[in-house]
Amino acid sequence: MTIEAALSNDIFLTYLVIVGSILAFAGVVLGALTLIGKDVSSIWKTYRGWLVMIPLVFGTIFLGRTATIIGVTLLAIFGFKEFARATGLYDDWWFAGTVYVAITVLGVASIVTDPRLQSVGWYGMFMALPVYVIATILLIPIIRNRAKGQLQRVALAIVGFVYFGWMFSHLGFLANTPYAYGYLLYLIFAVEINDVAAFTCGKLFGRHKLRENISPNKTIEGSLGAVAVSMVIPWLLWFSFPHFDALQLILTGLIVGVGGQVGDLVISYIKRDIGIKDMGVTISGHGGILDRVDSMIFVAPIFFHMVRWFHGLS
Amino acid sequence: MKEWEYHPPPDIDATMIESLRDFPRQPYMLVYAMRSLAALLLRGWMKIYHRLKVVGCENLPESGSFILVCNHTSHLDTLSLLTAIPLKRIHRTFPAAAADYFFSSLPRSAMSTILINALPFDRKLKGAESLTICAQLLANDGNILIIFPEGTRTTTGKMGRFRSGIGRLVAGTDLPVIPCHLAGGIKAWPKGKVLPRPHKLRLNIGAPQTFGHLEKNAESVRSICQNLEDRVAQLGSSDA
Repeated sequence: MTIEAALSNDIFLTYLVIVGSILAFAGVVLGALTLIGKDVSSIWKTYRGWLVMIPLVFGTIFLGRTATIIGVTLLAIFGFKEFARATGLYDDWWFAGTVYVAITVLGVASIVTDPRLQSVGWYGMFMALPVYVIATILLIPIIRNRAKGQLQRVALAIVGFVYFGWMFSHLGFLANTPYAYGYLLYLIFAVEINDVAAFTCGKLFGRHKLRENISPNKTIEGSLGAVAVSMVIPWLLWFSFPHFDALQLILTGLIVGVGGQVGDLVISYIKRDIGIKDMGVTISGHGGILDRVDSMIFVAPIFFHMVRWFHGLS
Repeated sequence: MKEWEYHPPPDIDATMIESLRDFPRQPYMLVYAMRSLAALLLRGWMKIYHRLKVVGCENLPESGSFILVCNHTSHLDTLSLLTAIPLKRIHRTFPAAAADYFFSSLPRSAMSTILINALPFDRKLKGAESLTICAQLLANDGNILIIFPEGTRTTTGKMGRFRSGIGRLVAGTDLPVIPCHLAGGIKAWPKGKVLPRPHKLRLNIGAPQTFGHLEKNAESVRSICQNLEDRVAQLGSSDA
């Protein structure tokens, strides 16, 4: 992944055209709705959020491998920060600081070359890091000679690192693969479509609550509709990964369709347990970072290991 | 199994801009790191560029809350006082800064919050409210408040009258008030100039004063202000 590669990469350019067209079309539709007097102010707010986020995503991927990994690492750090602030773990700078450093190390391990195998990205270190980080987190109470309330902090820090840091950072590690453009852009695109499909199908056909104690607005109909849509998209966007066979396309559809919604529900019950509505207000009209990347945290690592199982990373 | 308690911060629904203006402010690691770095650089700059000499550092209490009052000739007053305070207390040192000036725009708010840790003080409409915030701040042990009782920078070099806020804040309390005087500020960075000139600075820190023996009334407020004004002026004249 380099700037020159992006300019001559058909997959990158095709996604640019697809997303650009959707954005332009949505803008025209919203404009038309405003003209005929419909109240679409909240959708406009969300739309303006996209107008900022989409160029950022394409710009980062355009800049290449290192920029993409740094971008994902920053998202992981600030996503973890939202989690830490919401739970109150942020008040303890020993734990929060350790996880900050640990997520940064994940980014570094994704960028550097494996010192033994000479492959791009130090896969062994990336996969072994949770061991070292969890060991370090468990050490903190011992170093500080404290017992009271430490299990809660240790537990929150480990969830914070493993889920919001390590699992999400798999997305960045995908930048080291030869099909990086296809994998990354497909995942980002398909996960968002999955979200939109769940919302739209829910609005159109929603009758039965999916998990009313976690997310009262989600319906079984919406969820099934999203899975159906997500199962179709890999076939439509097959050009993203021409080396996939039918089984892998089906798995891709399932991972995005099911995994995306599970990721959404995970953040939902975390928020509901804490008692907050949004994780933050980083992105106007979208809530916090975690409210936006919730599905990706779940999808990225599972897709990553599916790809690695069938095709390896190089 | 008993459930855990979570403590989401009060500003979780605030945007970055809102939380910059919010006070008391939430501690952020990045902000602390940037402020510590800025304080270090500031120390070097004040000592080398302005050859700042601090006299009377031993008058600063080692623990507990206290107030620094100083004459106000330029922005260098705040910067000199921040240089005199031990580095580890820098995050609990709050220069009271005019909200209409230091928090007027986003870049200024960010600078005031991150680098100086300024307390937004409304000197026009909500003076009493701002004083309440100051009093709450000082009620927490270990906080340092920097106040310029003249209320604005002098343009003539002559010290202005001390306004009543400081008297109302400390009358009848045991809070130590430390009079300080910075000499050379008016020549180094006069009001209206963009950048300071490498003029020599000298900061005199006087002995702590307490006003617990006075009652909270208009008369004692006047006498406190006069007392502090005289002491600051005296610290200034001892230089000449």
